Amino acid sequence: MKVMLWVAATAVVVTAAIVTMGGPASAHHASGPFYDNTKSVEALGTVTRFVFRNPHSFLYVDAPGENGEMVAWEIEMGASVMMSRRGWTPETIQAGDQIKVVGQPSRAPGTFGMCCAELTQPDGTPIRPARGD
Amino acid sequence: MQETTSRTRWRGWVRVAAGAALLGLTVALPASAQSDSTDAQPDLAGVWDGGPRARPVNGPNMPWTPDNFPVLNERALAYQHAFDEALAPKYDCVPSTPPALQYDPYMMEVVQWPDRVMFRYEKDDQVRTVWLDGRKPTPQDYSVQGVSVGHYDSGALHVVTTHFTFDITGFDDYNGIPSSQLKKVIERYWREGEELKATVTVEDPMFLREQASYTTQWLPASDGYKLQAYDCDPEAARRPVKFLVPKYR
Repeated sequence: MKVMLWVAATAVVVTAAIVTMGGPASAHHASGPFYDNTKSVEALGTVTRFVFRNPHSFLYVDAPGENGEMVAWEIEMGASVMMSRRGWTPETIQAGDQIKVVGQPSRAPGTFGMCCAELTQPDGTPIRPARGD
Repeated sequence: MQETTSRTRWRGWVRVAAGAALLGLTVALPASAQSDSTDAQPDLAGVWDGGPRARPVNGPNMPWTPDNFPVLNERALAYQHAFDEALAPKYDCVPSTPPALQYDPYMMEVVQWPDRVMFRYEKDDQVRTVWLDGRKPTPQDYSVQGVSVGHYDSGALHVVTTHFTFDITGFDDYNGIPSSQLKKVIERYWREGEELKATVTVEDPMFLREQASYTTQWLPASDGYKLQAYDCDPEAARRPVKFLVPKYR
């Protein structure tokens, strides 16, 4: 239950994210100006909201930070029209779910955004929609 | 003399009747059956997938690569230098426009009628009508998606769109290049096997030194797929902007 921040080679993370999320966070805008693809962050916590919308869905996760403080993460995901074609629904993830998220951190200081994230159960089991194509 | 006049009148009525029958047949037939040959009017109708299975997803270098990237004039370069991603209208759900719209990685539906072709885009619920009836835009017709007129020729649909309003990101979603009221977008659509292909060319003497062009393709959507409502959510659209390091303070 600890948030860790480290500089890492990102190819593996990005590849894993694409596998789990089915693509980059959004085809609506480039991720580079918003998120640092040379870093990776991890959050293990509780889902507070899953907003399944266009042009981006957002997953909100409360997770303990490095010093034990609670951090409210905002994880940018894809457009709901695209995600729904891969079987995602507004109920795929629900408030109260325990979740592990690994992705690229937001660039603006003091913000806790994340994109291109790999989502798993706390034990590492991938979270996948009911149907995939 | 009287017999000759009667015969001439009879032939005239036959011609009128034949013409009327032909006209009726023309009106009654679907668009796909009206052309002189199937080669003249391609069957573009259907729901088309412009996503990753059909082509590379858009980005700063797609579809505008080093080989076809537009040659910008000083005005465009100044705009590009000053451009701040945070003020891009898309973060308020303003839709993209041609030539970016055609390369968005979403579904698109095409419907062909005798007097028009409709392009319906899943992203941002946009609809463009290409008029085939010879109409000309008026000065009152300026709009975000402009006015499109077209015709069929040599197995392709040719479209010319003008009368766009100024768009600070009117060239694409990634490179901070605007487009002006002088933007002219020329499109050519044709079929190659199961693919729908298009060449999209843009001219804008306000910002471009010369025309720029890309060619792309769509694949048929899965059977029975219907375009979903996009219903862009302004809060979701703007939410990532706070993750940008501000360019201006």
